[in-house]
Amino acid sequence: MFDIGFNERGDVVVSGRLDAANAPRAQAFLNEIDGSCVLDLSALNYISSAGLGVLLSTHKRLSADRSGLELVNVNPHISDIFRYSGFDKLFVIRSA
Amino acid sequence: MKNTYKRNFDQLAQIVADTSRFFEEQDIDDSLRMKVDLALEELFVNMVTYNTESDREILLEMRPIERGVEVSLTDYDVERFDPTVVRDIDTDAPLSERTPGGLGLFLVLKMADSIYYEYQDRTSKITFRNIMAAGEAADDV
Repeated sequence: MFDIGFNERGDVVVSGRLDAANAPRAQAFLNEIDGSCVLDLSALNYISSAGLGVLLSTHKRLSADRSGLELVNVNPHISDIFRYSGFDKLFVIRSA
Repeated sequence: MKNTYKRNFDQLAQIVADTSRFFEEQDIDDSLRMKVDLALEELFVNMVTYNTESDREILLEMRPIERGVEVSLTDYDVERFDPTVVRDIDTDAPLSERTPGGLGLFLVLKMADSIYYEYQDRTSKITFRNIMAAGEAADDV
């Protein structure tokens, strides 16, 4: 189960499992984003390296224009994966 | 548990469902699920991605062990590639030097409590174990 879309504040909400099967859909959605973007990960319960790659490539593209991704409502499990991957040093991350 | 899966990322949902059922049936602590799911996906995806010569399905085996689980993935008609010997990732590198990719096997080594690799007759078998630490809280990853 995976979904990605906007909430009423205009933040991007990612939910379910961001794995290798779902990464292309996430990438296609995020490719349409311009400027700074907040990703609400409160309903994301799993991420693999494929999902991390989507976040990294999007963040790099947006950062080239001095914006980027901000990751909010990150649960402890996902936060651990970010820490192992060094993403805690690359992104602004706000825990749940 | 002993199942085979087609060489397709769409099989990941079935692997997750089968893993969930196995954990429930064997009463394995669910706090190990994140580590097992992640290591399993990364190894499966690696096999599918880098062995494009074989049509044979990938074999997944799981068995309960004391305070944990042992998981094996077997791939056939494949060149030797030992995932336990992978280049390190510089997780301190700045954004400009980070590239998507390369994190998968790095994370496997982080997730698995032990891992070993066997190769014989063009067959690769990777086995990893995840074990609950004594006194480990259910919410720990």
